Amino acid sequence: MNEEAKGMAKEIVAEKPALLRGEPWMDILWDLFCPGCQIPMVARIIAESFEELGIGDKAIMVGAVGCTGILIASFNIDRVSPAHGRGPDVATALKRIHPETTVFTVQGDGDCIAIGAGPFLGALTRGEKITIIMVNNTNFGTTGGQLGPTTLLGQVTTTTPRGREPSSEGYPVHTAELAATFKGVAYSARGSLHTPAEFRRTKKYVKTAFQRQLDGVGLSFVEIITACPVNWHLTPVKALEWIGEEVIREFPLGEFKNVTSIE
Amino acid sequence: MAKGEIVIDETICKGCGYCAEFCSRGCIEIPGDKFTAKGYLIPVFAHPEKCNACGVCAWMCPRFAIDVYKYVETPS
Repeated sequence: MNEEAKGMAKEIVAEKPALLRGEPWMDILWDLFCPGCQIPMVARIIAESFEELGIGDKAIMVGAVGCTGILIASFNIDRVSPAHGRGPDVATALKRIHPETTVFTVQGDGDCIAIGAGPFLGALTRGEKITIIMVNNTNFGTTGGQLGPTTLLGQVTTTTPRGREPSSEGYPVHTAELAATFKGVAYSARGSLHTPAEFRRTKKYVKTAFQRQLDGVGLSFVEIITACPVNWHLTPVKALEWIGEEVIREFPLGEFKNVTSIE
Repeated sequence: MAKGEIVIDETICKGCGYCAEFCSRGCIEIPGDKFTAKGYLIPVFAHPEKCNACGVCAWMCPRFAIDVYKYVETPS
């Protein structure tokens, strides 16, 4: 470039976070995500939060089953793979044995509030000092886009070809609002990744959630809405527009609980 | 006057188009006739002179395929 000839140096502004590189199989695993899937952006948010908080070497990740399960082997930190939906239970044990570490789970909506609703509600009830990050893509992505607990009313999925009907399939679960009603929860928020501004806001939510755990206040929960273009049968850019128009109308974004002490 | 530049790793790009959609300066374009080895439409850094190295394309890239560099004055 011309600028370099004039004595300009290059300074890196944004690159792949260091916690997401280092092992030879990671590049293969990142390739498993569909085009336009935003789960790797969730990994970027977590990795950058860890780098900014300086806790990357003292963190333990508890994985999940489903699309988010690919993240188990993609992070260059200590990690555990639990049974389907049992992430909060494993995280509880790890946090009680190693209270000095930062323990967090990354779960999909099916893993967290469908099959894992019992362990999730148990961890909320006990107010464990862990962080739960739920990735909400409004369906079961791995198995081909079936109806999930967070599927919108009228949304067409593989198992609801005429759209979700309240009379037969019920209503979507609002997990962040549910978590905010528990006494032992220190932080509950819902973010989205459909614009760069929402990306920055979601990163602030995730960072605050880890800060609440470092302060030992209580359980912190962040729900992140991501696009699933393949199962929504939309192009990636259209999928983000659909989030902005429809999904955030059903799932409002923001912080629902944020306390610094629980008496 | 360019304030920075981006480098797109064409071997891992999946052609979702988020970078071209969210570049507020219109630096990145998807020509539609260039493909990766796997058959995905590839974005090109078409207008490097407009880039201000904000980093939005790298944040929004789900494949970590974009590195953003900023030009800085070297102390001489």
